[in-house]
Order: sequence, then structure tokens, then C-alpha cells
Amino acid sequence: MWWMALRLALLSLSRNKLRASLTMLGILIGVAAVVAMTAIGEGAKESIEKQMTAVGVNLIWVWPGASASSGVRGDANRTAAVTEDDARAIGREITSVLAVAPTLGVSAQVVYGARNAATRITGTTLDYLTARDWSVSRGRSFTEADLRMAAKVCLIGETVRASLFGRADPVGETVRIGKLPCQVVGVLAPKGQGSFGQDYDDTVLMPITSVRARLRGSSGREVDQIMVSVRTPAQVRRAQAQLTSLMRQRHRLQDSEENDFSVRNLQEMMETFERTRSTLSTLLLSIAAIALLVGGIGVMNIMLVSVTERTREIGIRLAVGARSGDILAQFLVEAVTLSAFGGVAGLALGVGAGAALGKAMDWNVTFQPLAALVALGTSSGIGVVFGFFPARRAASLDPITALRHE
Amino acid sequence: MQGPVIEMRGIEKSYLAGDVVFRALKGVSLTIAQGEFVAIGGPSGSGKSTLMNVIGCLDRPQSGTYLLAGHDVSNLDADARAFVRNRLLGFVFQGFNLLARTSALENVELPLAYRGVASKERRARAARALQLVGLGTKLENTPNQLSGGQQQRVAIARALVTEPRVLLADEPTGNLDTATTEEILALMQGLHREHGLTIVMVTHEPDVAACAGRQITVRDGLIAADVAIAQPRRANVDPPGGH
Repeated sequence: MWWMALRLALLSLSRNKLRASLTMLGILIGVAAVVAMTAIGEGAKESIEKQMTAVGVNLIWVWPGASASSGVRGDANRTAAVTEDDARAIGREITSVLAVAPTLGVSAQVVYGARNAATRITGTTLDYLTARDWSVSRGRSFTEADLRMAAKVCLIGETVRASLFGRADPVGETVRIGKLPCQVVGVLAPKGQGSFGQDYDDTVLMPITSVRARLRGSSGREVDQIMVSVRTPAQVRRAQAQLTSLMRQRHRLQDSEENDFSVRNLQEMMETFERTRSTLSTLLLSIAAIALLVGGIGVMNIMLVSVTERTREIGIRLAVGARSGDILAQFLVEAVTLSAFGGVAGLALGVGAGAALGKAMDWNVTFQPLAALVALGTSSGIGVVFGFFPARRAASLDPITALRHE
Repeated sequence: MQGPVIEMRGIEKSYLAGDVVFRALKGVSLTIAQGEFVAIGGPSGSGKSTLMNVIGCLDRPQSGTYLLAGHDVSNLDADARAFVRNRLLGFVFQGFNLLARTSALENVELPLAYRGVASKERRARAARALQLVGLGTKLENTPNQLSGGQQQRVAIARALVTEPRVLLADEPTGNLDTATTEEILALMQGLHREHGLTIVMVTHEPDVAACAGRQITVRDGLIAADVAIAQPRRANVDPPGGH
């Protein structure tokens, strides 16, 4: 019965190719949208996760100033400094902390001979490499003595090394940072690109004391940021809470007062990003669902037309002994075949469009076999749901009336 | 003549036409024996079409009993009637009622397909039935490539392919010219004579009815006349296929 119904469905659809293709279009667009959107969404999620592990999921940042999320507070006095002493206190008092690295940055031109490179100079402490899980591939890191004496030494990132030294060995050479001559003591291991396109290797590290005294020319203890690394990702939340209350205490804030500093961890930032992404993909998926719904209504419409057009055929079939179940099967299978074809075409289009879009926009696109299966299942399901009513109408025709139909 | 193949007792059928009940059959009793060729006539509105529909198990009487080949079919549901139509009856209509854009062979195969006969056997039996009606060379032609007479032959082949107990013909020559009418009548007479086929034919043309062995006239929902014809008119063409 089903085999015969499938043959009849293919025959009937091939006789009305244009109509069938137009009807499929709705389903096709819906399925294509679902497939492309899930692939792009999944790709984005994967690159976020990759980045999380690359940067380190157990990092917490502290910087001065209330967080933007609590609104703009116009009181300049409220923005108290975050200092190196804060960093020391965090390392001392919070047990789950692995490394604390205060940072102070300047942008500067680095010159070696005739070559130069504009880069970011980060002044920090020995803990920085530990916090970022970074290492020195050639030469050495700077020492406690370098820190104490604000030594004119630096570590250069792979990108800076390549643009200044080419194939020459940079270790021991002297470069000029702004006006400051500075000895390269080591080269950082390559870390690669972040998923937002930033180059981690386009950097120069110096002792924080050197940056403060020699590049910024200031004498305070304030820092741009404190980077805190916690031993395990599971401890991040608790450590952040402890850190916040420690900072409030150190800054002598009353219970009624807002934080005069901001604390963020990477997990939070990723979660925010992930929420935005999933809101967006929910939106796109609901558009796709509407396309599928409209497509389903199109299928139903065309099947009703088809049943009316073929009333006499149905009468003939009933007269020679087709049962109502045979007629039901015939039209139901036709509807399902129609929408399943739409689904297959939509799958192809979705994969094509997703891949093309990924290439054009340089997005990471991940196709999931499950999404394809769901898309095909959904389109067939639409055929069943929207084909059932027309098929039942066909099956419940009275043979006498149907035979008389002109 | 053998035992009865159709036995009807007190068959009644009414319709609701608007809000008026129209009694199409008012207690028809009728017995048709195996191997008879019966013509049913009567003016339009007499109830002959309704009677044909009941005999053909396309419709269900409201009261009375109907035994077809010994089975009580007066109270069957739609699917059971479909089964009976498929197994015991063959239909020929005025308008041929063939599937368009479908070859003669596939049209004839149709009842066997709904019986679940395997494709190979189906084709063989359909081809035999088409040879029997003289269309052995037109198996692959579609209805629009065939003349009216040829289309009606395909319809007869489709009715015969299931080896039915009764062939029901509803105005089978209504859409045909005189010469073709004679051809079709000759074919039916030949099948009746040589294969002992039971035929019930509705017609309002006296010339056509005269070819049957028995003429029943329906009037006002009842059988008004039931006459055996000693010497049926021979349709004046030889049946094709050289029987």
C-alpha cells in the first residue's frame, strides 16, 4: 500500500513540476534557514569555547572604576585607584589564588636599527606569565632584581620579534622603546590569535616598575588592571566574591556604597556573549519556524486543490476497490514526499549558504548531522501534519459523488 | 441457468433533497441468476441509477436484504463494500472513467493493485484482459490516444480483469455513436455467450436494451415490468478478437 502510494506520489508530483517546486519553496527556505543558522550558531559557540580555554577560564580581572552595568556615576572622587598593594593583598589573603599580576600599559613605538613596530607595552610582575599560562621560548624572563631596580629589560612577543629581527637572534640586543633603550632578555612563546582577531603575540612585556618610572614617568602605586588566576575553574566564583569583599574592605566602602572598582571573570564574559548568541539564534530559528509553518500551509493548500482536481480519479479508484485507507495513504504520502523533497533541497541550500557565508564573513561554521536529521524529520512531519486534513478529505469522499464530479 | 447471484428483498433507499425526503427505492425485490444478461430501463428519476448503485455496492440500502453471490452485503461499511466491489463486481460507466495520462495496461491493472497482486502477475493478467476485448496491440496507449469505443473496451477489460461475478454497466453506450455502440454491445454479448458472464446493464435506449435476455423497467422506485426476451437482438458486428 505504501509502496504504491509512493509511486503514485512521485508520478503526480512529476506531472505538476512547477506547482510542486513552488510549494516546496516554503519548506525549503525554512529548512535551509534552520540548517545554516544552527551551523553558524554552533560554530560561534565552538570558537568561544576554544577561546575560553586559550585565554584561561580561571582568570579574574580587577580594574578601577564602577562597572558600566551599574550606570554612569558622575562623581569623579568615587573612582579610587586600584594599586599594586591591592594586588599584593589579593595574593596574600585569598587562598585559591595561583597568581596575581598587576599591569600597567602604554602604547609605544619599538625600534631596532632601521626597523620599527608599534605595539602595546605591558608592565607587569613575574606572576603574569603564570597567570596567562605563558612561557619564554628563548632567553629568560625578568627577575625580582629587575623589578626592584626598574631595569631596562623586556620580553618580546613573536610578532614583534619577527618584524624587528627577522632571522637574527634578539636575545641580548638593545631596542629603543619610545626614547628608552632597553635590552631584550627573552622571547615569548607564540600564543596565536584570539577569536576576535587580536594578536596575542603583538606585545612587549616589561617590569611594571620600569613602565611606571621610565615610560609613564609617574611615582604612585596605581595600576591599570590586576589579573588574577585561580587554581581551578570551579573556584572562580568563590574567589571573585572573596576578592570583591576584600577590595571593598581595603577601599573602606560602606554597605550602602557601590563598588569603586570592577571585577569580571572570563566565564561571565563568555556567558554574556553566549546569551547574546543564543538570543540571536532563537530569534533566527523562530523566523525559520514561521517559514516552515507558512510552507506547511502552502502544502496543505496545494493538496486541497489537488484533491478537488482529482475527485473523479478518487471516485474511479474507490469504484474498483480502493479502501479509504488506500486513498488516505496516497495523498498523505504525496504531501510528505512534497515536503521531504523541500527538506532535502533546503538541507543542500542550507549547507551551501552556511559554508558560503562562513567563508565570506570568516566565521567558524560547524554542521551537525543531528540538525540535518531534525530538519528532514521536521519537514516530513510538516507533510504529515498539513497533508493529513486534505488526505482525509480525499479518503472520506463518497464514490458515487466523486464519480459524478466534473 | 445456475443459482441466483443477486437476490434483493424489499430494498428501500431515500434521500434528503433539500428538506424533502425523496424515496428513490420503495421496496425493490429482484433476483438475477448466474449467467443472465439483464437490461434495466426506466425514465430519469425512476430510481434505476439508485438501484444500480445499490447493486454495485457503491451505496447502502436503508432497509431490505441484498445477497450478492450468497453473501449478505446489505449492511457493510465503506471499506467492506470496497472489498466486495474489488472481488465480486466489475464496473463500466458511461463516461469510461479511465485514469488520464495512464496507459491502458495500467488502467486495467488498477483493481488488481488494490487487491495486492504482485506487479508481474498484474501485468500479465491485464494484458490478457486487453487481448480479450481486442486491444492486444494498444497496451501502452493512454486514453487520449484511443477512440471512444477503444476507451470503453479498456474499461470493460478493467472490469473483467478481476474475474467478477457480475459486470455492471451504467449506460455503457451513452457516449458512443451507433456503429461503436453495436461494437460494444457485440463484445458484451460475446462475453455473455462464450464466457457465461453475468451482465447487468442500465440503459434508456430500447435498441440497446433489446440486446439483453431480460428487460426490467423501474418506475417510481419500484419494478414496473420484468420481461424475459426469447430472442435478443444480435448486435450486428462480430465481436473483435475472433471469438
